[in-house]
Amino acid sequence: MKRIIAGLALLTASQVAMAGAAGGDAGCGWGNALFKGNSGTANHVLAGITNAIFGNNTFGMTTGTNGCSTSGALGYGGKNAVSAIMDEFSEDVARGEGDALNTVAVLYGVEPEDRDTFALVMHENFAVIFPSEDVTANEMIASIEEVMKADPTLAKYITA
Amino acid sequence: MSLSVFAIRCIQCIALAFALFSVHAADSNYIADLQTRVQDQRIWQSAEWLNLLHYSGDGETTAEYRSEVNDDRFFLSADGDVNPESELLATIAAFYQTDISGNEHAQCRFVARLNWLKQKLSIDASTLPVVQCSSYIEWRKHVNSDHVTMVFPAYNLNSPSSMFGHTLLRLDSAEDEGNSRWLSTAVNFGANVTEDDNSILYAYKGLAGGYSGVFVVDHYYKKIQEYNRIEHRDIWEYRLNLSADETERIVTHLWEVQDINFDYYYFDENCSYRLLELLEIARPGIELTDEFKLTAIPVDTVRTIRKNGLIEQSAYKPSQATILRSLLEQIPEQDRDLVMQLSSDISTSRKDAFTSLPPGRQGNIADTAYQYLRYQQSGQERDPAIAKRSHQLLLLLNSYPKDTLVEAAIEIPESPDQGHGSKRASLGAGKRLGNLYTELGFRMAFHSLEDNEQGFLRGAQINLGNLQIRAEENEGISLYKFDLVDIFSLTPRSRFFKPVAWKVYTGLERQYTKGVDQLTAHVTGGAGGSWKLLKNSQVYGLATARIEYNKQMDRAIEPAIGFTSGLLQHFGPSTARVDVSGEQFSDGIYRLRAAYNQNFVISTNHSIRFSAQYEWQEVDEFSDVRLNYQYYF
Repeated sequence: MKRIIAGLALLTASQVAMAGAAGGDAGCGWGNALFKGNSGTANHVLAGITNAIFGNNTFGMTTGTNGCSTSGALGYGGKNAVSAIMDEFSEDVARGEGDALNTVAVLYGVEPEDRDTFALVMHENFAVIFPSEDVTANEMIASIEEVMKADPTLAKYITA
Repeated sequence: MSLSVFAIRCIQCIALAFALFSVHAADSNYIADLQTRVQDQRIWQSAEWLNLLHYSGDGETTAEYRSEVNDDRFFLSADGDVNPESELLATIAAFYQTDISGNEHAQCRFVARLNWLKQKLSIDASTLPVVQCSSYIEWRKHVNSDHVTMVFPAYNLNSPSSMFGHTLLRLDSAEDEGNSRWLSTAVNFGANVTEDDNSILYAYKGLAGGYSGVFVVDHYYKKIQEYNRIEHRDIWEYRLNLSADETERIVTHLWEVQDINFDYYYFDENCSYRLLELLEIARPGIELTDEFKLTAIPVDTVRTIRKNGLIEQSAYKPSQATILRSLLEQIPEQDRDLVMQLSSDISTSRKDAFTSLPPGRQGNIADTAYQYLRYQQSGQERDPAIAKRSHQLLLLLNSYPKDTLVEAAIEIPESPDQGHGSKRASLGAGKRLGNLYTELGFRMAFHSLEDNEQGFLRGAQINLGNLQIRAEENEGISLYKFDLVDIFSLTPRSRFFKPVAWKVYTGLERQYTKGVDQLTAHVTGGAGGSWKLLKNSQVYGLATARIEYNKQMDRAIEPAIGFTSGLLQHFGPSTARVDVSGEQFSDGIYRLRAAYNQNFVISTNHSIRFSAQYEWQEVDEFSDVRLNYQYYF
């Protein structure tokens, strides 16, 4: 699990380098078109391929902050990933299942046997995690972790 | 090469190696021995080496090779881009270099080359200088690659050009992520396009080789967002049966080509071609790229990897739009009304018409209304009012337990690689203007409205380079028609989806004008709508405009306005089309046509096509009737 999160940290760091050239790709934080604070996902195939992602210059940036806290259960890369799929995640939480919901569970290191619990607990707390359409990704992440801490099964995954 | 020349060259090479690099003195004999073996056994000619360096060409002398890599940083020899032999000798020398340490050392930069050479020449590892490759080791910790999947984002409704498609590779970790692969790594090869380039410049530079291409690694979830949610393309995934060693070769080579510029040509040296090269590196001895020297249409590359037994299993991931369409088709008409109302007005959820329904049905209506609203918003700027309504719909959806919702049943279509071949040859006979003729036809690519639709998108036509040559009785052999581009998009409109039907069509074609039958050049375009009648039939109507170069008209270039309308009917794989069209030129000439086309599918790559056309003009009227056999390959 740690490997995945670390991998995301690496990839995401290079994403920051991309943001300038691709124009409009959120470097850190904030969700997509539904939730506040984002200029919309880059809408062209070519925007994604204009930038090489594994240049050597990216390695020094894995712990960079760029407006994001590196502390917490997710780490920088995981946080970025959860933020990037905020729209899809909100939809899955409302529904109670889906790939984005599963992905967030994986990012928190939730073991397969606890993922149904994770899905149910998220579903039951939709209004807590997404109190309004203006919620930011950081607020969402804080709420997810509060909700997990309050659950006897999920609390063990939040050891800040 | 004579022995003496060979010896001199050999000495030169070694001298060069010594001049360039300071090599561990104790190893110099060992290195010279390795280099001699490379030359004696012509190891530089082995397919693995040529693949790793992306050389094209084959022959007895180094002069017949050229690398498709367009970047000095990739070569260790000054003439490495055109000389596989000197590059291999320089690579060996560089691996033994001792005046460079750490990440800049060739052992760190060219890991795939090193692994291959160690094996090929049975290099005694203890002879190599010890180098710490911290960057590479760090990077490898983050690249999870237990499986390799080829991903093919399929076709985009109402955008026939997307039928040329795209392929990328996905590196999956063994981690249990259920069915979702959002955390996998996507490997993409694409043109290094600057943001300022408009689409015309893009097309031109893409064709002419004005771009360089690079490999890019990115989060796979971004690709899902891009294809499934923004462009509304279904995704096909083909899990490959690569072994751990084969996968390792791909990953180590990706490290070597990071940031490295390749040639890029839209038609041949494109995304799909480069991925085939990666697979050739992975599995020595396999030949995938040979048939794609002229064009590499992504779906054809999928066919090739299937033919070579690389595909272990395939999976279909419908796009958000496909799911939405299925949901809308599967609910009662009354519920569709509520979806429409609810998506624009949240207070609908408090009306009796909604609250009187069973909870499961309410939940499905809320879900569909939410998806419809988001579909309309895709690619748009965030609108605060719509964001608010979206959130309210999610709250409503959230009020129903998960078990009460019904998932849309999605019919899995035929995999695109199972469709007919991209090229088409045809042989036919007919009668036009009272003259009998035989016809030979060839189409470079790709799909017509009447062709077998299995594996393709219904109502989408894109043809490039379509040629018809006729031999007429009493006349010679002559060009009847050449379509450079012929795009026709007929996505049906409904109360939920309002696509514009459109066509763009340009080339040369024979026209009978003022009693003279001769070749004309034209550009024709049109826009309108298409509507579904029954499950397998649709009608369409478009207004058209045309510019024609025709010597029989008053001006050499004459504009016209017109129309085209008709019916498209599918009978299983066979398809019929009735079309009535016409145009009025500014100099008074008009043409009116009625046409009937029917394709009878024999098997995936064979069909018989019948077409009959009647044309009325001010003075003349005539017919053209023909029967063709068509072969796709």
